[in-house]
Amino acid sequence: MTTATLETWKEISEAAYRDLENAVGAENVSREPAVLDGYAWQPTINDDPAKWVKRPVAVVLPSSTEEVQEVVRACNRHGLKFKAFSTGWGVYSGPTYDNVVQIDLRRMNRILEIDEKNMYALVEPYVCGAQLQAEAMKRGLNCHIIGAGPACSPLASATSGWGVGWDGVYMSYGHRNLLGAEWVLPDGEVIRVGSCDSGLGWFSPDGPGPSLRGLMRGSTGALSGLGVFTKCALKLYPWPGPSRVNVRGLLLDAKAEIPENVRFHLCFFPDRKRLADAVYRVGEAELGYLATRTAVAAFIYTFAPHLLRRIAGTRCLRDVLSRGVKWGFVIMLVGASEEEIAYQDAALRRILADHDGLSIEAMGVPAIGSMVFMNFFRVTAIPMVFRMGGLFSTALDRNDTWDTQLDWAEIGESIKRKWIERGGILDDLADNPFMALYESNMWAHCEEIFQYDARDPKHLASLEPMFIEFSVAAIEKCMEPLSATDARLRKIVSPLMGHYNEWQKKVSAMVDTNRAADTGMYCDEVDFDFSKVEPELKAKLDRLVERFRWTEDGPPS
Amino acid sequence: MAELNMLLEKLASVVGNENVSTAEDLLSTYRKAGTVEGGEPLAVVRPADTREVRELVKLARAEGYNLVFSSSAPPRLRGDSIPRGEGIIVDMSRMDKIVRLDRRNKVALIEAGVTYERLIPEVDKLGLKVLMPLLPKRGKSVLASCLEREPIIIPKYHWDMTDPMLCTELVFGTGDLFRTGSAAGPGTLEQQWAAGAAQKNPMGPAQTDFVRVVQGSQGTMAAVTWCSLKLEVKPEIHRIRFVPDAKLERLIDFTYRALRPRLGDEWLILNSYALATMVSEDPERIPDLAGEQAPFTVVYGVSGYQYLPEERVAYQERDLARHAQAAGVSATAEVPGCSWKKMERILASPSPEPYYKMRPKGDFLDIFFLTTLDQAPRFISVMEAQAERFGYPTQRIGIYIQPIQQGRNAHLEFTIYFNPEDRPKALELFDSASRALSEAGAFFSRPYGAWSDLAYARCPDTVRVLRKVKDMLDPDHVLNRGKLCFEIEGVS
Repeated sequence: MTTATLETWKEISEAAYRDLENAVGAENVSREPAVLDGYAWQPTINDDPAKWVKRPVAVVLPSSTEEVQEVVRACNRHGLKFKAFSTGWGVYSGPTYDNVVQIDLRRMNRILEIDEKNMYALVEPYVCGAQLQAEAMKRGLNCHIIGAGPACSPLASATSGWGVGWDGVYMSYGHRNLLGAEWVLPDGEVIRVGSCDSGLGWFSPDGPGPSLRGLMRGSTGALSGLGVFTKCALKLYPWPGPSRVNVRGLLLDAKAEIPENVRFHLCFFPDRKRLADAVYRVGEAELGYLATRTAVAAFIYTFAPHLLRRIAGTRCLRDVLSRGVKWGFVIMLVGASEEEIAYQDAALRRILADHDGLSIEAMGVPAIGSMVFMNFFRVTAIPMVFRMGGLFSTALDRNDTWDTQLDWAEIGESIKRKWIERGGILDDLADNPFMALYESNMWAHCEEIFQYDARDPKHLASLEPMFIEFSVAAIEKCMEPLSATDARLRKIVSPLMGHYNEWQKKVSAMVDTNRAADTGMYCDEVDFDFSKVEPELKAKLDRLVERFRWTEDGPPS
Repeated sequence: MAELNMLLEKLASVVGNENVSTAEDLLSTYRKAGTVEGGEPLAVVRPADTREVRELVKLARAEGYNLVFSSSAPPRLRGDSIPRGEGIIVDMSRMDKIVRLDRRNKVALIEAGVTYERLIPEVDKLGLKVLMPLLPKRGKSVLASCLEREPIIIPKYHWDMTDPMLCTELVFGTGDLFRTGSAAGPGTLEQQWAAGAAQKNPMGPAQTDFVRVVQGSQGTMAAVTWCSLKLEVKPEIHRIRFVPDAKLERLIDFTYRALRPRLGDEWLILNSYALATMVSEDPERIPDLAGEQAPFTVVYGVSGYQYLPEERVAYQERDLARHAQAAGVSATAEVPGCSWKKMERILASPSPEPYYKMRPKGDFLDIFFLTTLDQAPRFISVMEAQAERFGYPTQRIGIYIQPIQQGRNAHLEFTIYFNPEDRPKALELFDSASRALSEAGAFFSRPYGAWSDLAYARCPDTVRVLRKVKDMLDPDHVLNRGKLCFEIEGVS
């Protein structure tokens, strides 16, 4: 991701600052450097956190759509840019230019409506997953919570970011859960996407005719490059369990009362083929409320990073984890009736038997079950991903078939192993994929997580070469790399996929004549500094680009 | 005439003489459809591949033609393939390859001209099924049905409005080629298959999702040459049940209760006349058969798959029975004139010829829109009041409610059946009822013909942005000129 120094940063003009004060009230705008630097500290997925990101020139805290509009209009008048921020999480939440007003949406934190019957909620940007889930559960419903955890904004992931979570098998993907959105365009005008723009409610996201949902984002959002989303309607999903799960304690020191209609299986298979085949059958049987393949070592580094360090140095334990229990799969079953949970459990066991798998039913092991339940159900374990090294990053390919995602996990593992051996990243035993299934139809997600310590110069020096190595591997596999949304590689990757960024630039120009949105994470292009990348790897990238670059007639055969 | 001949020569230079036609019987099928009339098709051209489609678009830009894409066989029902003024019809039916069927990943990749009739048996051989709308026309293009957002009859598989369509190949009005979803690349389809991919991911590439802009656009944004399509497993055990009842509200209550935990497969609600029209082989018998039905009937399917199919069906039937009891309704295995086996066959196939809605009177008009299930009774009252106002018997209106997006909203469809000689009266009712329903809050998400004025009058902000999008993707307005909210001065 793009990073920058503060060398070219300038203070905001008095006139512009007064306009911002007029927009949101003097108490809700700041240019205090200490406050601004709080926003510039966006380390996650920042490949050089020593630099931080750009410091915004001011931060504003609007409380309504109208105030957001006024802020955006002020930016247009004064030649400033804006960048929205809700719950944040990574480098993509921060400015990429020197003249950016950070629009912190934390005062817009209301759940405006829950339509229990038609299973959707209307929310503002700072509503977080845990907040929405808790309210939904009171009505027998639940919401999709992304992998980044329950502190994150469902609006942000559905409109502007990514949107994958362990519950994807039952609750889909952020963007596909959108039923309508209110959108402040970069010129300050508001549009609403879907039936809500006709004043008919928030039940349908598309039309009349073409859907503007296709403009606002793709598999990745525009990350505020096309404006600010101030409300959205999101699908809710059934939760046939209790309205509240009684829990004592926090995170790993928690004891939850497991609902009777829940089963939680830790499944293991002898090899990749039998795991792959079994999971395809799980999809065809339409089983699961939550499902993931996560390596056992990943559980350990999350829950007990010091223990993992010891294990990593012990050959036999290392082998047990890396080989003996490598092909694991976690699935939570939830039944709306006793008969349904009995059926799901029996069908899963039959699939396991047919594929030589075995399962530990975690709910039958109270010490484990009560500890891990909320970590999966509410995704509370995720923040612990920072424990091992303080920071982590990820390597993502394009979601497609379950088979391709298993390939990506293996590719990622092999790349990581090399860098672990070089001391370039922390040793998490290399196999550390975050995988999710979608919609029981067996398209899936895999990202390879890696841990690093920003205080270690060797680690920092590894990040850019690894980023390129993962990109090369994805392109070689005919997969869209994560770098497709990175300003430094767009120029290289875009021609391999229909010149998508030329269209993104056109979309940007169409809605943003004053270039008021911070488009660094949307359509800007800068050159990548390949000086830290091995020449052979750069040459391989060049060959792949030559091979896959679209001609006038499409992809070359 | 000389000008037309020159035009035909240019078109022939792209698709070959034998694929350019000005035959009157062919052109006449593009002059009117549904309530849309006045099309002036100049010729019908039949491209063989994407290259020819792109050449046609480039030619249209150079010469200023209006291209209207059409993939399905007649009868034409909605008017989206009727040009507004003059137009060249681009008939995609030659592009009819089933490019790939993938059993493991449950995907088909099909060209625009592939029909349901053609695809269903091929998919069936693999133990899979096509996710279909209710009784599509026999010659209906699968891709066109998806692009038109025709609702599929299994709500639990309708996760999002693009379903079951996944990836697409597009030719924008600029002539540029683009691919959406995981088909975008890197690599050709073949290279992607070799790498294990199957064009399963419908989103993207990157931060665009142009398939959503093209879907529902009635061919005004891009031509679509192929798409990948989500398939599902054919059940080992499949049963259809009927829940007839006098009160629609009870059936809606039952539907909400059942769809929330994703019980059932097929799920639709029909009134007595719509049901009779579907099941009666003898048009003369339809009124009597309708009289024998309950006013409304839920039709649902229950399935068991490879693993423990009996057990799955058993738990679903038990849970459904509980919900039925709570809603005060009950299920049965047959209704007058239709066993569950017969309904199973009906739901799994395209309509027999002639198209089933022609059966009662020889012609028909549909009014359909999106709403939520709980609002359906209110809209039915509006429609019935309109029918009474125009002297149309309310019991002869067909009503079809299709829950979509797993029950979060619904396609509500009224059918006005009429003798061809009564068309003017039917059009009056259609026009008045459409307006009344719009005023009552109907969301015409698929705004064919005159509905576009009704729909777009309600959302000027959306119109403002859509026009910019149109100018970006089709700057010379060569694709289905003048449709939706993209009026051109001087073209009526």
